[in-house]
This record gives sequence, structure tokens and C-alpha cells, in this order.
Amino acid sequence: MFEVRNLSYKYPRNREMTIRGMNFDIRQGEIFGLLGPSGVGKSTTQKIMVKLLTDFEGSIYYRNRDLKIYDKDYYQEVGVGFEVPVHFSKLTAEENINFFKKLYKNQADTDTLMKRLGIFEDRKKKVSEFSKGMKIRLNFVRAMLNNPVMLFLDEPTIGLDPANARILKNLIKEYREGGGTVLLSTHLMNDVDELCDRVAFMANGKIVETDTPQSLKRKYGESSVEITYVKGDNLQKKSFEMETLSKNNEFFELVRNEKIVSMHSKETTLDDIFIKVTGVESYA
Amino acid sequence: MPNFLVLLVGELKRMVEYKIAAASVVVALIWIGILYLTEIPDITFIFPLLIFVDATSMAILMVGVTIFFEKQEGSLRAILVSPISKTDYLLSKVVVTVTSSVLTLIVLYIYALLFKDINLSLIGLLSAVILVAFFHAQIGFILSYYSRDFTSLLVNMMKYLFIFFMPTLLVYTGIINHELFDKAVYLAPTTAAMTLLNASTGNVESGDLIYALAYLGIGSVILFVFVLRLFDSFAAREGGV
Repeated sequence: MFEVRNLSYKYPRNREMTIRGMNFDIRQGEIFGLLGPSGVGKSTTQKIMVKLLTDFEGSIYYRNRDLKIYDKDYYQEVGVGFEVPVHFSKLTAEENINFFKKLYKNQADTDTLMKRLGIFEDRKKKVSEFSKGMKIRLNFVRAMLNNPVMLFLDEPTIGLDPANARILKNLIKEYREGGGTVLLSTHLMNDVDELCDRVAFMANGKIVETDTPQSLKRKYGESSVEITYVKGDNLQKKSFEMETLSKNNEFFELVRNEKIVSMHSKETTLDDIFIKVTGVESYA
Repeated sequence: MPNFLVLLVGELKRMVEYKIAAASVVVALIWIGILYLTEIPDITFIFPLLIFVDATSMAILMVGVTIFFEKQEGSLRAILVSPISKTDYLLSKVVVTVTSSVLTLIVLYIYALLFKDINLSLIGLLSAVILVAFFHAQIGFILSYYSRDFTSLLVNMMKYLFIFFMPTLLVYTGIINHELFDKAVYLAPTTAAMTLLNASTGNVESGDLIYALAYLGIGSVILFVFVLRLFDSFAAREGGV
């Protein structure tokens, strides 16, 4: 869907490049996560890919055509979901959606989307009366109102309660199952783990790692079992490598002979990988 | 419906919902109040002055207000990633702004016809208002691009009015009467605007009229091209993803 090669960008007033030679592909029908610490260039990358910044170096091909060739009709087939509310607050939710919908040739069934997201009953209310969560859900409806083939989502579940976040994540999965492609930018590693087919970690304006979440966990994995047991009057902890557990006599001795308080399997999370590959651990 | 019309209808609807239209009506009522309080029965020579104030400052303000509402609420971001051309987007705002100035003119003219003596060319005044409001809508865009927030827009607008508007008014009302100053104000767009509006009274020399028409006509085209060019960097700045 997208081929990004040697992408570099410098804001006119900055001395340094914000993006320095990024390379990545987004395949059709996948959810691609773009991850990295704040200020690393995720938003700039998205701004370039949605054609808000045009004077970049390198090349971007969208559906095998140079992105620079596309005009405003590019937006007929992409949807952009923002992290912050982007509505006319003194218009109703329905008026907002209808205004934007009329700009597109391909129009989605937004009533069904609003019903799925639990805001259909409130569609006649002004957006200023909406809670933050309702505005975020309305953002998603706006992003989807043209049945896009490519969807850019920035922190789509931030500000949602777990139940509504679940509904929205299910809709994103359904969208992918229907052939849609997503570029997802988020700090919530649970969302990434659950949704993304592949992820790219950014550091210093570059992509430093790209793979599936599973492969990354294997690559950076240190899975172990941690046992807490009673030794005399004290609680003691001991860790064992998961891989060699079946042949580890010390582990079996401990389980047989000591009073076990807890036993936890410890796997590398995407949070751990994020910290490791982006180099953001502590500012102290 | 073509996207320009969708934008135009949306702009008009928001003018009503955001009470911008109501504010415009209040301003028109203030002008009527001023006309009411004027003891001179024949207001032919005062009338263009009121229209001048409205078509210049209100045009700047209306464009600025709509852009800042969109910036403040984030709806500008949604607009920037929609399948609309920047020309359509900007022109829809210009058309609504010019329409508002024209409506104010019509309301004031009807009042003047009913309750005062007035003798000027409505068609001439109407054409002048369209050109003056169009020109100043472009000024509104430029000031909005370079203003961080609504307060700084108001400050920038006051600077514009102080630099261009005041000298024109001082010369027009005869408060300042100096040859050098009289010539210097020809550089100001507000003087061209005043001349054009005043031409409807038949009290302007044809050389001055041609100069004013050329200034505002050519100036509007140049400014619109400039506004279009500046829009890209404005969009990149405001269209955070």
C-alpha cells in the first residue's frame, strides 16, 4: 500500500532534521503500528503521509504511484482519525457527520457506525454537550465516513473507557478483515499487541526496528518463571529460565520441598521492547 | 452537490449557529442607530463612510472569527484532510463575508430610503462593497495566518486599522488637510476603498475612480494568490495529526 524510502524532513525553522532517512512499507490489509517516544517524528511522518507536509526528501509510493502526484482526491480514499476532537461544537453530531459526508463520493453507513459506537441516540445533540469519550467515538465515525481504503489513526482509544475501547478495537479489526489498511500511532502497548500485524519503532527520527509483535518478543524475549517461597521467616524469590524449565532440577526441588507463595511466568512485553529499542528509559 | 456549494452552505449554517450572523445584525443595527441620531436629513455623504467601516473592518473580522473557531475546535484539521481544494475553502469564506457586507448595505439603504434623504447609485455602491469586502477578506486571511490566537488577531487588525484606516478617515473628514499627506494616503488600500465607495455619490474624479478600481481589483487578485500560497504553510502548522 505504502512504500517509504529514505524519507527525511526538516521543519523550516529547525536546525536539525526531524526525520532522517526512514524506510518502511505498509502492506495492504495490515495494521501497521508506528511507535516511539514523544517528539521522535511519528506525527511528522503521518503529516507527510496525509499530505499536510509536502516538501520532504525521499520518496513515498501509495498504491505504486508517487504520493506527490495525488491531489485532493487522495482524501477520497483515506480516512484520518485524530487524537483530539475535530468537530464543530455548535453543530449536532449528525450535522457534523453530514457536512463532511457530502464532500465524499463514497459514503459509509454512518448511522450503523454511530449505533455500534453508542452515540446514535445522541446524534441530535450539539457536540459541545458530548463527553470527551463521545467526541473521540465521533472522531472515528468521521474518519470512516468515506469507507476509506487506508486509515490513519492517532491514539484512537485514548480517553475511552475499557468497554468503548473494546468496541472501537473490534471495529478496527473488522475494518482490517474487510481489506482495510491501518497506520496506527499509539503509546498504548496493549492496543499495539492486540491490533498490530507489524510494528515499527522510531528513535532519533529513524526506524530502528520493524517486525511483528510476536517476532519482536522472541527476539528480545527473556521469558522466565519467578517463584516466591517461604524460607524460614522470610520470603525469597528465585527466577528460572522458561526454556530449560523441564530439565531444571533446582526448580523441581524447590516446588517439592518449599512452601510456594506465588509462581509467575514473566514474558517480555512490548513496553520492555519499546524502552529497549527506543533508548528511552530514564531522563535522570 | 459540488464541494464548493457544500462548503458554502456549511459556512452559512455555521455563521448562524455560532451567532456570527447575529453579531453582524447587531453591528447593522448600530449603524442604523447612528443614522437615526444623525440630524442631517440628507445622508448621501455620510452613508459611504458607514459602509466603508463595515466593509473593511467587518470583512477582516468575519474571516478571522471563522478561522479561529475552526482552529480552536480542531475542525480545521478535519477540513484539511477532506477532498476539498484550498481555493474552494477560501472562496467559500470570502463569498459569505462579502454576502454579509452586501446584506448590511441593503438593510442600511432601505432604512435610509425610508427615513432619510439619500441620493446615490446603489449599483455603484453594491459593486464597490463587493470589491472592498473581497479585498479585506484577503487581509483577514493574512492576519489570521500570522496570529497565534484571536486576541493577537484583534491586535493585528487594530494595527492595520491604525496604519491605513485612520489616515484615510482623517483626510476624508478634512481633519488633516496637507498636500503631502493627501498624496501619501493614496498608497493605502483604505483610501482606494473610500474613493470607490464615495464614487457612488458622483463626487469622485474619474482619474481617482480608475486608480481605486485598479488598486483594489489588481490588489485583490495579487492578495488572493498570496493567500493561496501562504495557505500551505498555515495548513502544515495547524493540521497536526
